[in-house]
Amino acid sequence: MGFLKGRLTFRRYRVLDPLPDDFRDRFEQAFTDHAFREKSTISKGEETVGWVRSDNLLETDFSNRDKWLYTHYAMAAMRMDKKVLPTPLVRAMVEKRIEEWCEENGRAKAPASVRTDIRLNIENDMLARTLPTVKVVNFCWNLPEGWVLFENTSDRVNDRFRTLVRNSFGVGLEPFSPLDFLVETPELVDPLAAAGMTIMSGGGR
Amino acid sequence: MTDSLPHLSTEFFTWLWWASEHGGGRIDVDGEEIILWVDDRLAFRLPSEDASRAVLTGADTARAAEAKAALAAGKVIKEVRLRLQWADREYGFTLKGTGLDVGGLVLPALPEDGDEQDRLMVRMEAIEALWAVLGALYRQFAEVRTQSAWTDEVVPAVHAWLAGEA
Repeated sequence: MGFLKGRLTFRRYRVLDPLPDDFRDRFEQAFTDHAFREKSTISKGEETVGWVRSDNLLETDFSNRDKWLYTHYAMAAMRMDKKVLPTPLVRAMVEKRIEEWCEENGRAKAPASVRTDIRLNIENDMLARTLPTVKVVNFCWNLPEGWVLFENTSDRVNDRFRTLVRNSFGVGLEPFSPLDFLVETPELVDPLAAAGMTIMSGGGR
Repeated sequence: MTDSLPHLSTEFFTWLWWASEHGGGRIDVDGEEIILWVDDRLAFRLPSEDASRAVLTGADTARAAEAKAALAAGKVIKEVRLRLQWADREYGFTLKGTGLDVGGLVLPALPEDGDEQDRLMVRMEAIEALWAVLGALYRQFAEVRTQSAWTDEVVPAVHAWLAGEA
C-alpha cells in the first residue's frame, strides 16, 4: 500500500500555496468531488482520472479520515484508466469488413466514408468489450511543511497529477529543485545559478 | 528558487562520484562521517540530449574504465545509483534528472510493528533523514562550486582522476 512497504520511486514537490485552517474539511470535499468515477463509455485513447484511496483502488469514499489522513500526512492515490485497442487486430478486422462490403455491393473499392464508418463501428464495438488499463499512483503530502512525494517520475503522469491537485485542492505544486536545498545559504543561489557548465572531459573551465 | 539548471545536477552527480572515490567513500557531512559509494548503475547522456547514450550496470561500476571513458568523452551523468551509510543506517537509491528524482529507494531496516500510521511515520522519517543528508551534500557541492577552488582544484583533480593519475 503505497508508501508503507517496499522500494520507492518518487518525484518531490513543493506546495506553493498555504493551506486554509479548515483544510481537513476541504480536502475531504475535494477528494469526494474529484474521486475516480468509472464512465459507462470511454472513447479510444481517452483517460479517466480521479482520486482513490491508497488501501484499495476501488475505494472512493473519503468520509473516514482515518483512511487518508495520518497525523500530518495526507495519503491517497491518483487512478488513471485508459482503453487501448490492439492496432494490428483492428486494422485486420477493418480490412476484412471492407472486403466483405465490396463483395456485397459489387464494388472494387469502398468510398472513404464507408471505410470510416466501418472503422468506427469496429472500434466502438471493441471498446465496449475491452477492459481499461489501470494505473494507480500514490502520493504522500506533508501538510504543515508543504511538500509532496508522488510515486512516479514520468513527466506525462506528473503533469496529470499536478493538474488534478490544482483542480481539486486549488493549490499549485512546484517540482523540487536542488536549489531548494540552499534555503539556509541563500548567498549561494545566485552564483550557483549563474555558473556555466564545466567541461569535465578535460581542459575546460 | 525554482529554476534549477540541468547541468548543475549532472555536475552534482559527478562531484558525488569523484568525492566518494577521492576520499575512500568517507565524506564529512556537518561534522558527521557518512560513507557513500556509486553502486551498480551509471547512465550517461550527451549534454544536448535527454536520452541515455551509455548505461553501465553491475558490480564495481564506479571503477569500470568505460564509466570514466564516458565522462572523459564529454558525456554527462544522467542517473547514478548510490549506497549511503551513516550511523546504523544504509540506503540504496538512484538519483536522476534535474530535480533529483529518486528511484528504487531501499530504506534501512525499520521496525515493522504498529499500525499503518506508525509504519508511515517511521518510513517518512527515514526518507526525510536521507533528504537532509542529500541537502547537506548539495550545500557542500554548492560551496565549492561557487568558489575558485572549483576551477583551481576540483576540476584539475577530476581530470587527473579520469586520466587515471589519481
